[in-house]
Amino acid sequence: MSDKYNILLNIKKSLGKFILDVDCELHQKVTAFLGASGSGKTTLLNCISGTLSPDKGQILFGNNKLFDTDLKISVPPDKRRIGYIFQEGHLFPHLTVEKNIRYGQSKTKRKNRYSLSQVLDTLEIADLLQRYPNQLSGGQRQRVAIARALAMEPRLLLMDEPLASLDGGLKSRIIPYLHHIKNEFEIPIIYVTHAISEAMALADEAFLLSEGKIIANGEPHQLLTAPSALPIANMIGVENIFSLPVANSDEQRGVTELEIGNQLLVIPFIDTEIGNLVPIAIRAEDIIISLEPNLPISARNILRGTIDGVDDQIIVSILVEGYRLSVKITHEARDQLQLSNGKDVYCVIKANAINVLWNAS
Amino acid sequence: MRITPAEVSALVLSIKVALLSLVVMFPPGMFVGWLLAKREFPGKTFLNTLVMLPLVLPPVVSGYLLLILLGKNGPVGSILSNFFNIEIVFTQFAVVIAVSVISFPLLVRGIMTGMVSVPSELENAARTLGASPIKVFWTITVPMAYRGIISGGILGFSKSLGEFGATMMVVGNIPGKTQTIALAIFQSVQLGDDITAYRLVLISTILAFVAIWMTERINLR
Repeated sequence: MSDKYNILLNIKKSLGKFILDVDCELHQKVTAFLGASGSGKTTLLNCISGTLSPDKGQILFGNNKLFDTDLKISVPPDKRRIGYIFQEGHLFPHLTVEKNIRYGQSKTKRKNRYSLSQVLDTLEIADLLQRYPNQLSGGQRQRVAIARALAMEPRLLLMDEPLASLDGGLKSRIIPYLHHIKNEFEIPIIYVTHAISEAMALADEAFLLSEGKIIANGEPHQLLTAPSALPIANMIGVENIFSLPVANSDEQRGVTELEIGNQLLVIPFIDTEIGNLVPIAIRAEDIIISLEPNLPISARNILRGTIDGVDDQIIVSILVEGYRLSVKITHEARDQLQLSNGKDVYCVIKANAINVLWNAS
Repeated sequence: MRITPAEVSALVLSIKVALLSLVVMFPPGMFVGWLLAKREFPGKTFLNTLVMLPLVLPPVVSGYLLLILLGKNGPVGSILSNFFNIEIVFTQFAVVIAVSVISFPLLVRGIMTGMVSVPSELENAARTLGASPIKVFWTITVPMAYRGIISGGILGFSKSLGEFGATMMVVGNIPGKTQTIALAIFQSVQLGDDITAYRLVLISTILAFVAIWMTERINLR
């Protein structure tokens, strides 16, 4: 990996009872920090951006020392050129979209690796320039916030749960924009979230943060699907994430069908081609376990599978055509249905409970 | 029922003094308001109390303290009179000082309230976008706090316009020289000249009414 993605974080910061104690090196283009709320994600980003000073440690970006307590270096936030995209956008309410975006634009022309119009095109906000932030929808506001951070031509982008304030449908519409940014702009990104699906959708490496400490790291898919991640998954919410090929897509019926082995998974219609891989996420709470396949219910999906793990927690692991589904149930349900290893069961899933992470076409 | 030259000069002096006080006190008012709204430092509560003190002290007390301070034998007055041969008390300049001390808390209050309402997250966001603290102040804090700043200015100005107690203590009541509207009202009542008193009362009531009405309009928008 080239040097420009090299970031060294060695940060100690106590805020009241909470202590953030992080020591890690980042090498990838997109790094995700995953953790429940209160795990120190935002504190970490604030330290990197310079709006908060660590008590001790150093922050290195490439060969550039941004912070070092031993050398008494602390580059002020306005000199760091680190773009920061906040959960609530934090657009300036008294300025138009255009003035918001131009706020951080440097007057001295840099090499100009990309133009402002490229940013506006990528995010599809060129029509909104004369509006004020209170005239924008949630999704538009967040795209403007992203444009504002990009327009300053940052060396590094920090994203603090940029999708958290958006509802499910909007989320899957913004993720493609983030993908564009990842692919079109040569800027490393540190992405902070509590949603496993977002980390998987974007990150090349993920760090798990719990009570201010890093407890695991690795390639996101491996890290988050490994059994060792179960306790963490319990904490931040389990999501089942697969990429499945399209079997059939019917706009008139309003559904798209994906192949999961020899069975079909019905999701709300997306514009795609047969054979394309579609990444989806299903929350463990959104799956119902049934012992019967023929149920008079509205849910579109009843998948046959075999239990291959019941843990002391309330997560049941079910193998469906080689895909492992984690399902969250109560102790009572587990005992009443006598769920145990090897038992054949049916997973009931509403089409609308299946979130498409991004649609490549 | 015509307004006499003495009344006109009282009115003009009041407005002149209030305007001058506003212009002179505005920069320090902005600075102190910003300090109290946005900074943490030791002695902050003390500074806040000191600034707000004239708001609750009887104006006569503030005026008397000023008189001691600025008088020929006072710590400030003696320096001015010994080294520069300047005497402040009983001059229009002293009216400005007296009026400024009394109206300063209102000015600062308004500015402070306006600035407190500007989320520090937005100011931090501006910093990450490359803005220096001074640029953040002028492009984020001030424009977003403008309602509080303007209403602080108007309230302070109106307070100066009608100030009585402190002015009376520091400058006395010299018609045509240091006599403001409030002092003129006091004098005409003392002399039993009710007609003049009514006229001046009407004028000052209208001025006060317009000022408060304007701040309310700004706050509503």
